[in-house]
Amino acid sequence: MGFLAPLFFLGLAALAVPVIIHMIQRERKEVTEFPSLMFIRKIPFHSFRRQRIRNWLLLFLRCAAIALLLAAFSRPFFRAAALAAVTSTAREVVILLDRSYSMGYDNRWDRAKTAAADVVNQLGPDDRATVILFDSGAEAGPRSTTDRASLLGLIGESEIGSGSTRYGPPLKLAEGIFEDSDLLQLEAVLVSDFQRSGVESASGVRFPAGAVLTPVAVTNGEAETENVSVAGVLFDREYFSGRERVSVSARITNRGMDAVSSLDVSLAIDGRDIETVATELPPNGSSTVRFAPVTIGDRPVTGTVRTQGDLLPTDDVFHFVASPGQVVNVLIVGNERGASEAALYLRRALGVGSSPAFNVATTTVTNFDAVDLVGRQVVVLNDTRPPTGQAGSRLEQFVSDGGGVMVVAGERSVWPPDGPDLLPGTFGSPIDRTGRGAGLGFVDYSHPIFELFSAPRSGDVTTARFFRYRPMEVTEPATVLARFDDGHPALVERQIGDGRVLFWASTLDNFWNDLAVRPVYLPFVHRLIEHLADYAAPTPWVSAGQVLNLAEQRSLLADAGLAEAELVAISPSGERILVSEGVRAGFLTTTEQGIYEVHDATTPSESPLTLAVNVDLAESNLTSIDPDELASMLTGRVTGDGGDSPAEGQTRAFTSEDLERRQGVWWYLLVLVFLLFVAETVISNRLSRTALNVD
Amino acid sequence: MDTEQTVAGARFVDPKVLARIGSLALLARTVVDGFINGLHKAPYLGVSIDFAEHRGYMPGDDIRFIDWRVFARTDRFYVKQFEADTNANFSVMLDVSRSMSFGSKRLTKLDYGRYLAACLTYFCTKQRDRVGLITFDSDIVTRVPPSAKHLDVVLHELDRIEAGNPGSLERPLFRAAEFFKRRGIIVVISDFYEDPKKAVDMLKPLSYGGNDLIVFQILDPAEIDFPYDEPTNFEDLETGQSIPVVPEKLRKQYTQLVQEHIAALSKLCGENRIDYALFNTAMPIDHALFKFLAMREKMSRVR
Repeated sequence: MGFLAPLFFLGLAALAVPVIIHMIQRERKEVTEFPSLMFIRKIPFHSFRRQRIRNWLLLFLRCAAIALLLAAFSRPFFRAAALAAVTSTAREVVILLDRSYSMGYDNRWDRAKTAAADVVNQLGPDDRATVILFDSGAEAGPRSTTDRASLLGLIGESEIGSGSTRYGPPLKLAEGIFEDSDLLQLEAVLVSDFQRSGVESASGVRFPAGAVLTPVAVTNGEAETENVSVAGVLFDREYFSGRERVSVSARITNRGMDAVSSLDVSLAIDGRDIETVATELPPNGSSTVRFAPVTIGDRPVTGTVRTQGDLLPTDDVFHFVASPGQVVNVLIVGNERGASEAALYLRRALGVGSSPAFNVATTTVTNFDAVDLVGRQVVVLNDTRPPTGQAGSRLEQFVSDGGGVMVVAGERSVWPPDGPDLLPGTFGSPIDRTGRGAGLGFVDYSHPIFELFSAPRSGDVTTARFFRYRPMEVTEPATVLARFDDGHPALVERQIGDGRVLFWASTLDNFWNDLAVRPVYLPFVHRLIEHLADYAAPTPWVSAGQVLNLAEQRSLLADAGLAEAELVAISPSGERILVSEGVRAGFLTTTEQGIYEVHDATTPSESPLTLAVNVDLAESNLTSIDPDELASMLTGRVTGDGGDSPAEGQTRAFTSEDLERRQGVWWYLLVLVFLLFVAETVISNRLSRTALNVD
Repeated sequence: MDTEQTVAGARFVDPKVLARIGSLALLARTVVDGFINGLHKAPYLGVSIDFAEHRGYMPGDDIRFIDWRVFARTDRFYVKQFEADTNANFSVMLDVSRSMSFGSKRLTKLDYGRYLAACLTYFCTKQRDRVGLITFDSDIVTRVPPSAKHLDVVLHELDRIEAGNPGSLERPLFRAAEFFKRRGIIVVISDFYEDPKKAVDMLKPLSYGGNDLIVFQILDPAEIDFPYDEPTNFEDLETGQSIPVVPEKLRKQYTQLVQEHIAALSKLCGENRIDYALFNTAMPIDHALFKFLAMREKMSRVR
């Protein structure tokens, strides 16, 4: 038996503490004052000088608890277990098989599987092995098994994935297996193409001392690789004869050192080939291919851009979903006088933009009617009184049902007591800051409206000067999103039912401030209206491995008629994935490249929700790292020239720390100490109670 | 002493309850009003020089008592009336040495002695006696000469005093004897941590002038029974000396020594015609007083 920190035993002197408690401390308690010691002095002194130990059991318990506590702190371990392991020459082998899509380059995958199977076949009778398949994540088969058949079966059945290479997860898994192993020889065999892009995730992984990493590169010694991939697509929308047309532009990259000429790039929409365009690619360069406009209807279409196949076909395809352009219908309600002038800047700003497009209509508060709200997502009360009576009630209902109202304060803004209950508070007479004007002192950049401006050089809303604004006293549960430099709220948001109301304390023209002539005006106004309309831009594609929360795609599900349905996703390979069941309801993990379809689980829909999944293009960069460099990084030893091969019989020496950590004897000792203290407490309490009763 | 014995005519008043009563006058009245019998007989004889009040002149009044100054101011005859004088001076000698500050419960021996003195002086005042007070430790600390009008002064003094210095009977008793020129009643209240023979020798001069000497020894229950359990250091309140003590080892010897001390003091007092009473501070004051007066009445018949 050994101890990692034997110096703690010096603390055995603490065993004197219970003795002191029993013998000395009892006489040194607080002094008892007594009127006179006249009589006590007459009694012979020596008869009460000594004290005896009255309870040996308590003394034993206390001493034992302290001794065990010290033993626990000294971190004991048994060497007998180590000796048993030393006699064994068995190995703990972990086979790390890279199945990222770059392994599909040429015949790398076949070579990798063969190499992994060879390792299994070379295992000794007592060797234990684990197969870990990895791309961006890691998945281990049966752990530390001697069953070669299951290992070979796992390797044989494994398929190439759509993920990118990340060495961190599998190496951490291997590290954990080594930590748990009691064998002396630890060996990891990494079968991969050793892409440099995956190395960064391995930082922080460190194999135990004595562990060996054997890299098996399947690059077949290629000095240079050639790879053409579709890096992404862009949509250019236009309206022609009342129909929306989308022009798809695809960006093609060439990562090889040779130029590519006459490369055919084709576009397919909803499975039908539409157009093929030939392009030229410079060495290690890219080009953009623009296809002819495609007319799309009122439902999303799926598209695929494909290049001629090369040695790595996975990244030669790019899938997308082109949704019809979204339109946000906005109604600007102004005052009878000067409504047009007040809304000039606002109308012009909303007239720009296609994603989404804003369909703006204007009216005056006198002419405002409940019918005007039909089909609108946002109403802007621009420098005017609110509609009252039935129209006001309808406006309240409009917000509760999910509509958005923007109240813009101005010269003519009043809010009568019988106005609709929309405001987050009450506003007062204008504050005049003529001169230098006021600025925004606080802006909540975490809010979706201002998030756009949070990054450096992305527009500064605080540079606008405000010469007049109306102070607001917030009385309702509301969030102040921006404040002027004197603390008065500038932008306040109130949630009512499913909708929301924004109060802007100054105008949206250039009368009370100069925001309208600032560059940030247009994106700011767009963000305001998009937020009020609860607009979310449709995602044309996601990367493989990304987890989608379908619960957040309410509008898309509603468009597909799946809002209330039990959902099932059909993967590109045809696998059915229930996404409305259990605790992970609504979440879909995209693992395959291609088009996922989300259907009603009971009745397959004719127009399902479609999701395009593409591979991570970082994996297209086939630049590799020197395998020995990676091995050195993980084992902390310089390797190369086979110097770190397991053939040399490098064995792992169990250090005292290893033994102590594995056995964890201190933990049991602490439990014992706890039990002893509990027993001590119970016994001493019982003794005290008994003594009191006797008194 | 048996604290559970019921006493006819006396209310049971717990000293701990009395301790909560701030005013000594109220406390004394509370206790004394419960008694039937007095401390001693006090016939009204003669007149004193203590002015009491004015009264309108009535035919037959002695014109020597007409207050001529009042007549000059009011043009009416008023006669002066004086407090009736008594035969007895009643003096209390209260030990205020540091050992008297001991109290195992809420009430200290000094508090108990203070209440006892207050009760006795109040009671004597009701009998028209003249009351006085001497407090002492190793010397006389304060002195209030006996007077029929000194009840308030005595009570005020009792309220004010605090135990502070080590005590000794010899010097204060010797000096006090000089003050008692006139026959009276002297009550000495102390814990008498002194050799009994020496203590009585020091007390004897007080009774020389025909004084009626009464000795009240006040002890705390802890001093009599020694109920301590935990071994600890015992510190002498007066000398500050500290001794490690294991109470269970010496309880028997200690209680025996205390009882012997009490018995010796009581016996020597009796032999020298000094009334002696032991007061345990756990006992209600009126109860203790009643027991003492009953004993004293019985003794007076014997004498």
